[in-house]
Amino acid sequence: MTLAALMQPTCLPREEGTLESGIEMDAFLREVETRAYRITLASIRDADEALDIVQDAMISLVRKYAARPEEEWRPLFYRILKNRIRDWQRRGVVRGRVMSFFGGQEGGEGYDPVAQAPGPSAGNPAETVARGEAMDALEEALGNLPGRQREAFMLRNFEGLSVAETATAMGCSEGSVKTHYSRAVHRLRELLGEHF
Amino acid sequence: MNTDNVSEDRALEERTKLIFDESVSALDAQTRSKLTRARYRALEELPGRSAPGWRAWWIPAGAVAAGVLAVMLLWQGQPPVAPEAQTFDVAALSDLEILLGEEELDMIQELEFYAWLDEQAEIAPADSAEGGVG
Repeated sequence: MTLAALMQPTCLPREEGTLESGIEMDAFLREVETRAYRITLASIRDADEALDIVQDAMISLVRKYAARPEEEWRPLFYRILKNRIRDWQRRGVVRGRVMSFFGGQEGGEGYDPVAQAPGPSAGNPAETVARGEAMDALEEALGNLPGRQREAFMLRNFEGLSVAETATAMGCSEGSVKTHYSRAVHRLRELLGEHF
Repeated sequence: MNTDNVSEDRALEERTKLIFDESVSALDAQTRSKLTRARYRALEELPGRSAPGWRAWWIPAGAVAAGVLAVMLLWQGQPPVAPEAQTFDVAALSDLEILLGEEELDMIQELEFYAWLDEQAEIAPADSAEGGVG
């Protein structure tokens, strides 16, 4: 091997605890955190619990898989997140829905209008309301899907994971992913027909 | 599956994706802040980063600085070396050379013989002197 070839960057194992690995992990988590939160919220309908679940998933990824190649982080992260969501759902779906219903009311004690200000891309109020209603309808429809169909749809369509990555995240075969996804789309079309 | 179904599926995928992306962009500042804190908390778990950043760097740096300072103080606190001590050092160095040389080791092994030889050398002149008188 020539000296020039040796000096080319290669797929070396990731060094744990280096500044570079920390920067890459930070960039990855920054990229997925809001989307992961929104996916979790659509699954469990509880804002506080969704934040806790996303944080647990991020901690678990960093602890266990920081040394793995960066391209593996996304499916691994969503696999952890999916397991956390399922665990939470097993512990009490009814409790979560009740808390979400009461927790979503504005103007209660501790309500901070500045903190509740819409994000940077918010348009005019009418559009915001329309978007909010559309998302509410979508979350409602997603809530009516079987768990595996909902996971396949959100990971493939919202998060843009490939079939293989979704299979890794869901812990099933690629064929199962395609089946669950196809059924999810058909079911959503039935449920959302009036709104979309 | 006919073409209409495929196009309707595609439209639903695009529409739901758009709504989802907009809901992500519209997340309130408080939620974004909480997510940022959650990320920082997760990054503390990076291998080799168990201690907060400042502590991870300053504790080893402080230990090195303290060590250098201690060496400098000991160096400057030493009294001037006396000539006798220098002589002692030279003698000690000679002893070391003797100890490390093979020939000198042979001599040490036959030390009693050399001591006897030395005594004989001292006795012999005395004997000859006595004989001269007698």
